[in-house]
This record gives sequence, structure tokens and C-alpha cells, in this order.
Amino acid sequence: MLEAVGLCKRFGALDATHNVSLRLEAGARHAIIGPNGAGKTTLFNLLAGEIRPDSGRILLDGREVTRASPDARARAGLGRSFQRNNLFESETVALNLALADIARRGTGWQVWRRLASDRAARARAEAVAAQVGLGDDLASPVASLSYGARRQLEVALALMGEPKVLLLDEPTAGMSPEETGRMLGLIDSLPAGLAVLIVEHDMDLVFAHAHRITVLNYGEVLFEGTPDEVRASALVQDTYLGEDAEAC
Amino acid sequence: MTRHLLALALFAALFAWHSQAEYYGFELLAEIAVFAILAMSLDLLAGYGGMVSLGHAALFGLGAYLYSWLGSDMVGLSAPLAILGAAFGTGVIALAVGAVAVRVEGIFFIMITLGFGQMGHEFFFQNKALGGDDGLFGIQRLDLSGIGIDLSDPGSFALAALVSAALVYVLLAWVLATPFGAVLKGLHANPNRLRALGLRVLTYRAAAFAFSGTVAGFAGSISAQHTQFITPHLLNWTTSGEVLIMVILGGLGTLVGPVVGAVVLVLLRHELSSITDYWGAIMGGFLILVVLSRQNGLVGLVERLLPGRRG
Repeated sequence: MLEAVGLCKRFGALDATHNVSLRLEAGARHAIIGPNGAGKTTLFNLLAGEIRPDSGRILLDGREVTRASPDARARAGLGRSFQRNNLFESETVALNLALADIARRGTGWQVWRRLASDRAARARAEAVAAQVGLGDDLASPVASLSYGARRQLEVALALMGEPKVLLLDEPTAGMSPEETGRMLGLIDSLPAGLAVLIVEHDMDLVFAHAHRITVLNYGEVLFEGTPDEVRASALVQDTYLGEDAEAC
Repeated sequence: MTRHLLALALFAALFAWHSQAEYYGFELLAEIAVFAILAMSLDLLAGYGGMVSLGHAALFGLGAYLYSWLGSDMVGLSAPLAILGAAFGTGVIALAVGAVAVRVEGIFFIMITLGFGQMGHEFFFQNKALGGDDGLFGIQRLDLSGIGIDLSDPGSFALAALVSAALVYVLLAWVLATPFGAVLKGLHANPNRLRALGLRVLTYRAAAFAFSGTVAGFAGSISAQHTQFITPHLLNWTTSGEVLIMVILGGLGTLVGPVVGAVVLVLLRHELSSITDYWGAIMGGFLILVVLSRQNGLVGLVERLLPGRRG
């Protein structure tokens, strides 16, 4: 579904991403972990199209999207969430979801009918809202939602486009334990055929929910394997997991 | 909903005034109607779309010149076709300008629209075939004698201008309630998120600029018919600034606010200028007071006073 081959990106003297390859099949639950500064965010931005690689290729569902803009990738089936909530703050949940629907389907040219009269669009919004646990909040302004609910809406916007590949940027960042639990339930309930790539700090989440893990260090792939293989890897233990244990 | 009721009351008041008015009142009402249309079109762009333009008067003036030129012996179109030509011709030019201008945001957008606007101003200022700085005069009005309306009569013309303004309000209110209107608000609130969701942001911004320009061009065609005399001053950035003041004074992103702003500014200008030469200073003070109230213009103030206001 999503394939990156030999991605490289330099910022001046910094080798932010160096020869990174990864491959997500349909239904994948793939996590990217690594210490701060390992290049997780750069890789995420390369995949989402926010920045262009110096070299390497990105294929989405077999189509080359290496140079495609973020909006073109979204239309080709790539959904993404943001690490910091990136919503339409002064609008309602329903309008947030409606905007996601319009953006994905290109229905923004419809000036001959009222937004409120598009029942099919409203039904799609209601379904996704229910899926992420915001079914009762459609009429609420985003500003009145709790932090956790906003994180759920963040994922809901990405899901509105019925993506083939979903990139989640630290979906549980800043969440309370209950909120984290809800988000994990949401991630577990994602469609089985959807390929999901998660960048995450929360190791419990990663080891419990990912099927494959890529460990980044200094912009390079240090290790890739199943959670058990990652846990068993001495290399990963030394450079990352061990360091994490002694942090703080 | 509250705002639509406010607009209904305001237009009802203007029509009521019209039924009592004489020549001076008719002239004021026609001017109010023209600026209300122009200010509403700017609100669509600046208040809803977040694109503050200082070149809006250039599109307004372009519409006035296009109408005059198309209806003159040089082209010889009938007035209805000249009005359509003025509106859509301005829209096409606005699309071309917008395609460039919408690539930048904020202060840069203000500057680039100012630049385009002054280019337009200079073009008409220097173009001798279009009267240069003397402008054009003897401009024809739409002939509605076929349905028994004589638009050369100031009262009938003011009424037609008011009806036009009311129709533009309804049109823009409709557009804002469509998916396109939702996109416009989303572009203001969070263009990056819309891009990440798959929206062609620049295309929509250019389209909004073109649509707003079409309405501004329409306002220009009415202005040309009203005064029957146009000069390049219509295109000047000071006119853009004045329209922006109307929008901010009335309430950005409220649609009815620009109508309120047009009424207040046109009335203050005429009433105060008959009392004192320093009317501009009084108007400036009034604008400062409204902005310092930290409400969204006069409409924001009214909504605060009304019970059960939304949001």
C-alpha cells in the first residue's frame, strides 16, 4: 500500500533521513520509534508530502507520489493526523467532518445546494463520528471539547477521506490514561484492510498494537521487525530502550 | 439566523426611508446600495476567506469602466449585456490576478493586491482613449421603460440599486451556506489542514477571489450608472481602504456588517462633512471606538446586547 525506497533528506549538515526504506501492506499496523532527533518527524513529513526527499521514492498504492503535494496524496488515499491538534477550532464537530468530506471528494464547487441538504455527506460524518466516539458531539463547537475528544476528532478528520493508508503522528500525545485507553480502542477498531503507520513515543502502545516496528536512530533504520524481535534485539536495547529506561 | 433578521430589518428600514425620501435621500440611498454591494463582496473575501485585499476598489473601478466602455459607441452593447460583461469581465481579470496573488498570505497578500490595484489605477489614469484622469461621462443607465420603470428618475434608480443590494445579500448568504462557503471559512481558519485533507487550496482561493471580484465588478457597473461619470479615483487604494473600513466597522465575516458599515460611513460622510471640514477625524475616532470595544464591529456589539446570541 505504502512503500518508501531509499529516502534521503538533509537539512544543511544534518542527515535527518538517510536511506530509509519501509513497506506497508494492506492491513499493516506499523510503528516508527526512536529517540528524540532520530528523524521520525522528518520521515513522517516526507511520507505525508510536507517536504520533498533529496533522493528516494515513495509509492502509494503502486503510484509514484514522491513529488506529489500533500493534497494530491490525500486524494490518492493517504490520510494523516497531526501531532498537535490541527482542527477548525471555531467550528462544530459536524462542520469539521463536513470540510474533510468536501476536501476529499472535491465537492467544494457545489454552489447550487446547501451544505445542510447533503444527506449522504451528513450520514458519512455521523458514521465516522460514531466510529471515533464523538457521535453525541456533532453539534458541539470544537472549542468546547476536551483535549482527548479533540484528539479523536483529529483522527476522525483523517478517516473521513476513507484512506487506504493512515499516518498517525503520536495519537496519544498529551493524553490522560483514560483518554489513551479510548484512543487505543479507536486504533484497534480501524478497518482491518487499512494500512496504519504510527509514530509514537508510548512504548506500551507500540508493543501492544503494532505488528511491525521500525526503529530509527540518527536518521537511519537501526532495526525492523516484529515487537518480539525488537524487544529481543540487543542493538535496540543498547541504543534506545535502555537509554529510555535511564531517562529522567 | 439572527444576522439574517438583522439584515431584513436593515433593508426594510432602507426601503422605508426610500418611500419618504426626496432627491438628496435618493442619492444617498443609491450610494449606500453601491457600497453595500462592494463591501459585502470584500467581506466574502476578507471576512470569510481571510484574504484582506487593498486592491478591491480596482476591481470595482474596472467594473465601472468595463460597463461604460461596453455600453459606449466604442463597443455598443445594450445596457443589460454591458452589466453582465462588466461583472464577468471583472471576474475573469480577478481570476488572473487571484491566480498570482493567492500564492501569498497575510501582509504579502495585502501588498500584492495593493500593487495590482495601483497598476489598474495607473492604467486608467494614463489611458487617453478612456478619458485619462478626466474620466468618462455621459454614461447610459439601464433602460427599463419596457416594464414601466424610468431609471433616469433618481427615486426609481435608488430603488433598483437597493433591490440589487438586497439580491446580492441573498446570493452571498446562499453561497456561504453551500459547500463552497464552508470551504471559504475553512480556508480562513486552517488552510494547511484542508490541504492535508486533499483540498486544492490555491485553486479555491483564486476562485473565491474571482467570485468576489465578479460581485465588485457588478457594484462598479451600478456606480457608473448612478453617477453617469467615472474617474480613475474609483480604482484608487484609498477607495479600497474606505470599503475595508466599512467591513470592519460593520463586522468582519458577518455579511450584514458590511451593509451596516456602508450605511454608517456614507451617512456620516455626508452629514459630518456638511457640519465640519474635520469630518474625517470624527470618523476616525468613531472607528477607533468601535475597534476598541473589542467586539466584531457594530454587528458584534448588537449581538452582544441581544439576548440569546449565538456562539
